[in-house]
Amino acid sequence: MIGPKPTGRHFAVVLLLLVVLHFTVRPMYPERFLVLAPDFLLLALLLYAIRARPGSAAVAGFLVGLLSDSLRPLAFGSGMLAHTFVGFLAAWGKAVFFAENLSVTLAFLFAGSVGRDVLVLLWGGHLRGATLGWQVFLWTPLNALATAIAGAIVLILFQRWIPTRLAS
Amino acid sequence: MAERFASRRDTFAVVVCLALSVGARAAPDALQEGIASSVRGSVLAPFLALQQQAELFRTSRTRYVAVASERDSLALSAMLVAALREENDRLRDILSLSRRVGTAHVAADVLHQSGPLGGLVLLISAGRAQGVRPLAPVLAPLGLLGVVRSVEEHHSVVIAWTHPDFRASAMTPDGSVFGIVEPAARGDRATPLLRLSGVPYQQEVETGTMLLTAGFGGVYPRGIPLGRVLGVATEQAGWERTYYVQPAVQPAQASHVIVLLGAAVNLATVFGAGQ
Repeated sequence: MIGPKPTGRHFAVVLLLLVVLHFTVRPMYPERFLVLAPDFLLLALLLYAIRARPGSAAVAGFLVGLLSDSLRPLAFGSGMLAHTFVGFLAAWGKAVFFAENLSVTLAFLFAGSVGRDVLVLLWGGHLRGATLGWQVFLWTPLNALATAIAGAIVLILFQRWIPTRLAS
Repeated sequence: MAERFASRRDTFAVVVCLALSVGARAAPDALQEGIASSVRGSVLAPFLALQQQAELFRTSRTRYVAVASERDSLALSAMLVAALREENDRLRDILSLSRRVGTAHVAADVLHQSGPLGGLVLLISAGRAQGVRPLAPVLAPLGLLGVVRSVEEHHSVVIAWTHPDFRASAMTPDGSVFGIVEPAARGDRATPLLRLSGVPYQQEVETGTMLLTAGFGGVYPRGIPLGRVLGVATEQAGWERTYYVQPAVQPAQASHVIVLLGAAVNLATVFGAGQ
């Protein structure tokens, strides 16, 4: 718990911290366990989408997708599309359906991560058959779980800085 | 909360973003590469430098012991090099052979990225400034990892062998069987395999046989390990067999690579492959 009042500046610091973590913590994972390295960029997008308007979240998603596609230039555009969808749906769905509760937010982060991966895979079309099956049913859920757990830790550590109430 | 439902402005924003995404996906490869390269060279440049430092920190911490032991072995071997070089030169003179072609190379770190397609293409920390050029072979300590697709000033994009477009001519260490290796998937395996195809039916390859690059095509030098034969994948009676191959290198687990810069040469002796 850091700081008493959540402000836009506090939240921006948390988002920037997540971006830095993406490029510093992930490389610390041994290669064998890279699948368990949380996707902090996606996490930043989802945390932003929770409190943003759907349009702003879609634009943020597009920008994160552009970064992601530039880092891994394969199926260029698939990351933009997937992140735009996920950002928009996350903002819209959060407003419509979800209470601000830690377990629901965890499920929300997990679903967002899985949804992003599935969209990238379908739109990219580079994986097929058994490889696609293993990716969708094993590696993607594992990575989504790691991302959701990292999200929970961030929410707990910075709950005073993130304008999302956590149920006691 | 009502104001957070999608308004007309929100709908417009998402439609524009989706249209741009579709446009980016349909754009020519050169334009896609240009955009990606610009973003990597500007917005992402400080973050990639940060990632490279983090990679260096981790590897320097976890690999110190292994590297120290390798260095000791190499120092021991290096003592014999001068004598061997002299002997080699003398034998080449006797046989009237030209000087051996050197293999220029540059070392690089793999900057792994998130996302489900991360193992198909890799970003490495060496580029034009280090002499890397497109179509340069990329090697991990145990064998072939892939080939350079595009080059920037300090980074390069590598197509790993897991990429659907990857092909390499392959041979057994004794040179008796030749074929083409390409990525393959087997339902009971969570990690991708290679497949050796184009092997005549009457030529059988034993399980466990090491496959090396054959050196045809001018991209990969002869003699780089590709993997070991796991067993028969398919049979067309009287025509050909295909084999599953356990790759020598898994792209997702590669951290350091070597990019070959020089002319294509025989590298079989470098890896001691097939033994």
